[in-house]
Amino acid sequence: MNMEDKIELNIVTVVHRAIAESDNLEIISTHLTQLLVAAMEIKGCALFVLNPESQELEILASFGLSISYLNKGPVLTGKSIVDSIKGIPIVVRDINQSDKLQYPENAKAEGIRAIVAMPIKFKGSVVGALRLYHHEPWDLSERDLELLQCLSDTIGLAMNCTRLLNALQIVKEAVTDIHQLWI
Amino acid sequence: MEIKKILVPYNFTDLDRKALDFVIRTFSNAEEAEVTVFNIYTPVPSITMKDSPEMKKMQASLSYLHQLISEQEENLKQAKQILISGGFAADHVNLVFKAKKKDVSTHIVEMAKEERFDLIVINRKPGKVSRFFTKSVFGRVVASLNDTIVCIVS
Repeated sequence: MNMEDKIELNIVTVVHRAIAESDNLEIISTHLTQLLVAAMEIKGCALFVLNPESQELEILASFGLSISYLNKGPVLTGKSIVDSIKGIPIVVRDINQSDKLQYPENAKAEGIRAIVAMPIKFKGSVVGALRLYHHEPWDLSERDLELLQCLSDTIGLAMNCTRLLNALQIVKEAVTDIHQLWI
Repeated sequence: MEIKKILVPYNFTDLDRKALDFVIRTFSNAEEAEVTVFNIYTPVPSITMKDSPEMKKMQASLSYLHQLISEQEENLKQAKQILISGGFAADHVNLVFKAKKKDVSTHIVEMAKEERFDLIVINRKPGKVSRFFTKSVFGRVVASLNDTIVCIVS
């Protein structure tokens, strides 16, 4: 068990800078997962977007997780770390002593021992999740949990910003396609 | 139209595997057919390291990230092996592992145009909301190409 603070201000700065340097959400989210794995010396990290109709968490980016683990099946909010959909961070400090996982056997085979699930919110509603995977039992300090929530909030803003940019791009392309003769 | 050059964008999903199976079933007996399996990775971000203990630790961890990217390249070689086991000659299967600099769809379209591929086998999973956030690769590839056959695996 380790309750020491692992995320220093320098690291938060580096992660924020990496996020701010791109307008491409695929690159932003992959850099976020890469840097969190490196900074916290954990096994892996994944970023999900919530499909509000199917209640499935669709993977947007991941790092450090095997292909077979990523392809294990749909991650459903009603079955996988259920409380995280309520908008609060959940720490599964030891998966061997928890019934919160949807695919516990896959997690064990992957070498995962602990999971931290952070909600990604926009305007107060959950729009996704940031999950961190550790290879040993894990107790996060309150401060690290708060910093992770701060990063999750930033990624929530970046997600919605890129979603709006994409929508604008589609509108622009549709308008550009209209020949002058038709208007 | 004889299909000689086939491009398969590959991202290790079950649908990507289905795409490989389709290529094997349909083209492994065509002697001139050449397959290129294409995967792009996000490079490790370049960061300015300050002289502090935690950042030195971070620097050490970044080399671990490079190692994981190398593992991804190794995994791509399995796709080549699947095609060879399915009947393709080794010299008719190419792998392209490239750093992501723009949208995945832009990488695919540029490569298809530059290398003049006859066929692109791409997958599509309908109903995904992530397309609103990262753009639909399938949609943009189909909308951007002329004179190229695009097969959809769904």
